[in-house]
This record gives sequence, C-alpha cells and structure tokens, in this order.
Amino acid sequence: MSQDEDKSEVTEQSGQSRRQFMATTGAVAGAAALGVSGTAEAARKRHPKRGGTLRFSTRSDSRGLDGHRNYYYYVSHPLAATSMGMFDLDLKMNPKPGIAVEHTVSKDMKTYTFKLRQGATFHDGSPIDANSVKWNFDRIQNPKIGHSFTRSSIKDVNRVEIVDNSTIRCHLDNPSGVLIPSLTYYPVQFMSPNSAANADNHPIGAGPFKFVSWKKYDKTIVERNENWWETDDQGNALPYLDKIIGSPKKEDRVRLTALRTGEVDLIENMAYTDAVGFKKKYGDKFNTWDVPQVGTGYLGFNLKSGPFSYSNGAKGKMMRQAAAHAINHEAIHQAVFSGLSEKARGFYSKASPWFMPELERKYEYDPDKARFLLKKSGGMDEKLVLTSRDAYAYMHQTGEISHAMLTEAGFNISHEIHPYAVLKSKWKKGEYSIDSTANSYRPDPDRWFSANVISTSSNTKLRTGFNNPKADKLIIEAKATLEMSKRKELYQAVEEIVNEELPMIYTHFIPLTCAATQNLMGYEPAFNGPYSTQRAGIRTAYMA
Amino acid sequence: MLIYTINRILHMIPVLFVLTVVVFLFMQMLPGDVIDTLIGDEEAEDPETRALLMKEYGLDQPIYVQYGVWIGKVFQGDFGKSLITRRPVSLELFESIPATVYLAIVGISLSILIAVPLGSIAAVKRNTPTDYAAQVTSLIGISIPEFWFAIMCVLLFSLYLGWLPSSGYMSPFEDFGQSIKYLILPAAAVGFRQAAYTTRLTRSSMLDEMNKEYVDTARSLGFSEKKVIYKYILRNAMIPTITISGLQLANLLGGTVVLETIFAWPGIGQAIYLAIIDRDYPLIQAGILVLGIIVVVVNLLVDLLYRVLNPRVALN
Repeated sequence: MSQDEDKSEVTEQSGQSRRQFMATTGAVAGAAALGVSGTAEAARKRHPKRGGTLRFSTRSDSRGLDGHRNYYYYVSHPLAATSMGMFDLDLKMNPKPGIAVEHTVSKDMKTYTFKLRQGATFHDGSPIDANSVKWNFDRIQNPKIGHSFTRSSIKDVNRVEIVDNSTIRCHLDNPSGVLIPSLTYYPVQFMSPNSAANADNHPIGAGPFKFVSWKKYDKTIVERNENWWETDDQGNALPYLDKIIGSPKKEDRVRLTALRTGEVDLIENMAYTDAVGFKKKYGDKFNTWDVPQVGTGYLGFNLKSGPFSYSNGAKGKMMRQAAAHAINHEAIHQAVFSGLSEKARGFYSKASPWFMPELERKYEYDPDKARFLLKKSGGMDEKLVLTSRDAYAYMHQTGEISHAMLTEAGFNISHEIHPYAVLKSKWKKGEYSIDSTANSYRPDPDRWFSANVISTSSNTKLRTGFNNPKADKLIIEAKATLEMSKRKELYQAVEEIVNEELPMIYTHFIPLTCAATQNLMGYEPAFNGPYSTQRAGIRTAYMA
Repeated sequence: MLIYTINRILHMIPVLFVLTVVVFLFMQMLPGDVIDTLIGDEEAEDPETRALLMKEYGLDQPIYVQYGVWIGKVFQGDFGKSLITRRPVSLELFESIPATVYLAIVGISLSILIAVPLGSIAAVKRNTPTDYAAQVTSLIGISIPEFWFAIMCVLLFSLYLGWLPSSGYMSPFEDFGQSIKYLILPAAAVGFRQAAYTTRLTRSSMLDEMNKEYVDTARSLGFSEKKVIYKYILRNAMIPTITISGLQLANLLGGTVVLETIFAWPGIGQAIYLAIIDRDYPLIQAGILVLGIIVVVVNLLVDLLYRVLNPRVALN
C-alpha cells in the first residue's frame, strides 16, 4: 500500500451510521463479521431442510448469454443469478463484500486497490484471481464487446494493475468517489476467462447459481453453485434453492394466470391494474411484495431543436413551463399506476438513501397557468410530437395521458408509440418534442446525473440536449466527493436546476409488484433484482 | 409427376431469390439499425464505437455487398450468426421452428378432423337441423376472434377446471405426455377457427359435387349411397378443402404471434417479431427464407395431393 492511500476499514459493524459508511464508499473489510465466509470451503454446509426448485416467470428474456455484451442480462432474469460483480449490495443499496473483500482508495481518488476473496472460484473451478479480474475489466472495456451500459460504468478506469495474485489496483483518469457502486453486479458482471470462446452459448460466471441451459423465450435453467461463499446467520451455505427454472411470459396476465394455476411459483412485474385487486382477493393464497422504485419515469424535452429548445430562447422555456403546469401527476398516479407509485420531484424516491425531501416541484399542475403561458409564448400553433416506447406499458400510458393533458391545455401535439430502434432514430434526428420515458434505478446518483443530465454525456446529447454549466460543475464536483451528505447537497442543487430549467419533468417512481405461492419462503425482492442482494432475494429463498 | 416436381422446385428458386432481395431491401429502409440496439443508451453516440461495430458485423459494406456475402454463405448452408445473441442463426431457428411446426400440424389436423365430417354431414343432411347446427357453429367459429377464444379456453380449462396448463411449451421428445398437455389449448385455439372455415367450404364443395352427373351415374349403377358419398363425392370435394387447408397450414407455419404470446409458445412468429424489433438482420433474412421455402413446399405438396385424390388432374 502506498503512502498516500487510506485503508478503508469502516463497516456497519463498527458502529457508524450507514450515512458515514456510505461516505467512505463502503469499505468492506470484516467479511466474516458480516456472516460472509472468507473462503469457499466454509460455505459448504447446507441447510438440512431448505432447498427445492423455483419456477420463476419474468416479463422479459435475456437477449444473449454473454454478460459483458448484454445489459439485458436482466437483473431479475435467472441468468443474472449466474454472475456477480466486485461487490454485492444489501437491501439498503450499500455495497457489501463480493469478489472484492477489502479496498483502499488513494487521497487523490484516482487509485483504488482491491483485495480479492481467497478461494473463490468461477463455476468451472478456475480461481477468481487478479489475472481473471483484470481480464474481465479489459474485456468489458473493449468497445467491440462491452455493452455501453457496462463499459460506461468503468470508463474512468484507465489501467488495471496486478499487484499480486489476489490484489489488483485500478488507476483512474479522473478522481472518482463512485467507483465502488459502479462495480456491483448490474452493471458489472464477471465471467471466467475460460468461457470467452463459448460465452454466447454457455457462460461460466461466478454467481450463486450455475448456468445449465437457455432457450430464448422458452426456458432457462440454472442450478445451485455449491461453491458459493455466502452463508446465512447459522453458517449454512447460500443459496438454499437447488435449481431455478425461468419461463419468461411477456404478457402480464399470462404470467399471473400461470401463477394462479400453479404452473410457476414466482412472478415479477404484475400489471398495476391487477396488483391492487389481486392483493385483496388472493392475499390469503399468495404472497405479494412491492419494490418501491425500480426506475424513475419522466417526460424529457427536446432542447436541441424545435419549439421547446434553446433555439427558441425564453419562449422555449416558457413552453416547457406551460407543459409542466399541464401535467397532472395525480392523474397519472391513479390511471397508470393504480395509485401504487409515488409522485417524483427528483430521481430518487423515499425508499432510497439518496432521497431529497426538501426538493420541490417548481411547476405544479395548474391548467389555467399552462394555457396562459402557452398563449404568452405563442406556441399554440407549433406542431409537437410526444413519443413513447412500446415495450413498457407505463411509458406509453403515461404518454397517452400526458398527450391528453397537453392537448387540453392547448398544445398542438400528437402522440407516437415506437420500438426502441425507431425512437433512437428519432432522437438522433430531433424528430420529437417530448419523450415519455424512464430510467432504471441507479445505486449511485452519479450513474444518473453523469449519464443523463451532464451536458458532455453522449446520452444527454442524444436525448434532451440539456446544457447547464452550473449543473455540470456540480455533477463533476459530486463525483469527486466522498462524503455522502456533501454529495447529496450537490445533487440536490442539480435537481433544483433541473426542476427550474425543465430539461425533463420527473413524473413517477416506477414500482414493481412480485407475487408468489405461499410455499416460497425466505424471499425478499430488492431494488436491484433478487440475485445480487446479500442475504436476501432469491439467495435466501427456498421452497417449503 | 417427377418432371412436374422438379419443374416446381426449379420455379422455387426465382421466387425465393426475389423474396430475399425484397426482405433485405425492406429491412434497410426501416428506421434505426442494429447498432443502435446493440449500443444502448449510454455512450450511445460514440462514433468510434459505432464504426467498430459496423465493421465487426460487416454493416459498413454497401448493401449489395452485404447481400452478396449473405446469399453466398446461404448457398454453403451457413445462415450466419444472430447479431443480438451471436449464436448461429440455424440454432435460433432450430429452437423455434419445431414448436411452430408441431402446433401448426396438430392444429390443422384437428381442423380437418372436425371440418371434413361436419361439412360432409351438413351437406348430406342439408336443410335439416343438423345442417343448421353445423352452419351456425361454423359461423360462430369464424366470428369469434382467435385470441378471445384462446383466452376463454385458458380461463375455463386452466384457471377454473385446472385440467391443462395455461401457457408454456414442452418438446414431444422431452416428455410426450406433458407436451400433449401443453399443446391441447393452443392447438384447439388454432384448430377450431380453421375448422370453421373448412367446414363451410367442405359443405359447399360437397353440395357442388352432389349435383354433378357422375353422382347420378354412380347411383344408377346401383352403388350404395355410402359408397357414392365417401368414394366419389367426398373425394372430389376434398380438392378445395385440401387447397384451403394447405394455405392455412402455410399461414400457421409463418407463426401466429398473438397466440404464441397468449400461450407463451416459443414459435417462429415471436422469434421473427423480436428479430425485427431488434433489427437482427441475419435472423430475419433466414427466418423469412425458411418460411418462404416451407410455404412453397406446402403448396407443392398440395398440388401433388390433387393428383393423388383425382388422377385426372393434369400436372402441368
């Protein structure tokens, strides 16, 4: 360890608050104290009674098997259980020991050193050592291979140095206090270097379950990794389940019917309209869980061109304000989310450690004011297009309702629903005025702000085109800050700018309802999917 | 018949060639491309990455070169790799086509098993309550949307009675008994609607044939009514029935996206639909080529069947 490095030794067990813990970016020493064994050998004692096969129906299927190429290697899809990142998360989204059990960060926040778990192996028995971890970093960073979502999470890593067999050091281009959350599963998934040649057919990961087979939109089978290192409170090896059989069913009600007829044990993404009635009617036969925020919905304006854009000067902003006053969040809350969501004023909900209670929505629903501002801006005759994506009902339903509300306020707007490829083509050409969309939950705010708000991000350039030097400065400063309370202040200042300048209108936090038969025990869903949460999710589930 | 068959097979070549060219050009005209899908949102517009991937997948070449490379490989039996899953396209198709073929053949067989007896009885007993019942039933079958019938089947047989699984697929080679259980509802949804059309067609064909002179001749020769109906009338009346069933089969082999979605049936319809959404060109091209071949072959078989049913039909 060099002189300028601070060893991070703070854990939740040391008596510090979670906030303090997060402030030091979650040092992860003391793994044994967390109930997480240091070696694979310690985790082989199985619970005598817990096991079984879980039949799990998800909404989507993976698009491919290579975890570095596919970020649609969904968080909830059984394939996600075959992989893991450098760190796990707990239910409150704090980083926890994973492949890395300890880390140090240099004072300039440009060098991170990671101590790797001794004895941990990939599913083919090959060791998870410094060489294999470096290989994963290099492969993810290869633009021909790494998906942009995964690659962008470690874009600051300039070079990975092998210190010894169980230690690696990451040298960053820029100071970063956010590398640790970026190295949790989703975005980063590690796989065995031995599987590279056949990763599209038979991936070999390091997660709690091992890949067995996959037939697209038919069946996925994964089985328990008997060498997984995690244990429960009593020292029994996790996961408990022997096998997971995934059967994706795209339609919400097809999944629900399969659950009710006993063909599957667990479903995710229940339709909001079904969820409310289901709990009342079948609460005695099935268990349900609500995840408060798997994403955040928003209406993004096109500031690059068209009536809402910067080129329209003060009138553009006035039109955005008029649109913001036209949107009735309560109506969307009831009509689209059946009252299950939470209205958003920023990117993070109450359930997140990054929630900012002081944030206010600057432009509340006020149709008269919307009409007044629209008239004043002279934008009533401007032809506008609201786009939304076909794949997610809440996106185009929010689009439909917003379209009706904007029309009511006097906007001359049409609504188009498209698949992703078409939408992207429209974003590039600027052929839209407002886009009804959403972004998945990000454990660290930098993954939201540095990707979608900062003006230099290619995604910001592609979508809203928002360009605010003050916001940019705050985002860069927050990224190079370790203390959570300070970072939160900085991000709150950014959110205030966003709510004032209106590159987007945050609408709702996207809830997720899961349901299961009552013989599924020990299950608890999480923000980031059921597989990467330590001592929770499917890792602690078993069939009674 | 052999020369006719060879001729028909030779005729398939230009048909399939035009089909592949049209599909190839059509896919190029769609907005958005596969690189957009592969890159995703973040770091989405890095031109360097785009250029690298375009080169990696051969998309930086002019369209005619891309087509030439693709068709050249097809002649060698290589459909290439899916741009999304990066698995061989032949594997992707091999996983979805059997499910579709299985459903289509059983569905259409069910349809014929229902339609031919029902249509024949309706014709023989025309203008009787039996005929009216058959006609009303087939009219209802035609009027009810396939997806609604499918949902009602699921509600009744899966949810309320619990007799059959509501969705999913199992290969008959994996577990034949279970596979039949999974098949019954989708096959019924497919079969009953097709049967409704075919029943009406069989009835009207039978009635047409019954009024022809050879029927009177057969009767005057003292053949039994049963023999007249089943050996002469029904055999001739089957030609339009076979034609429409052949078309129905070809249509079903093309995939039924709605039914595949309702029953979570992993067929070719859904596979091609997803490939179109993702702009997975090799999979779309190969899928449509294979479907084109299936349609042409089914039509050929139907034509050959005419000859079997009626040797007087000239195959030229």
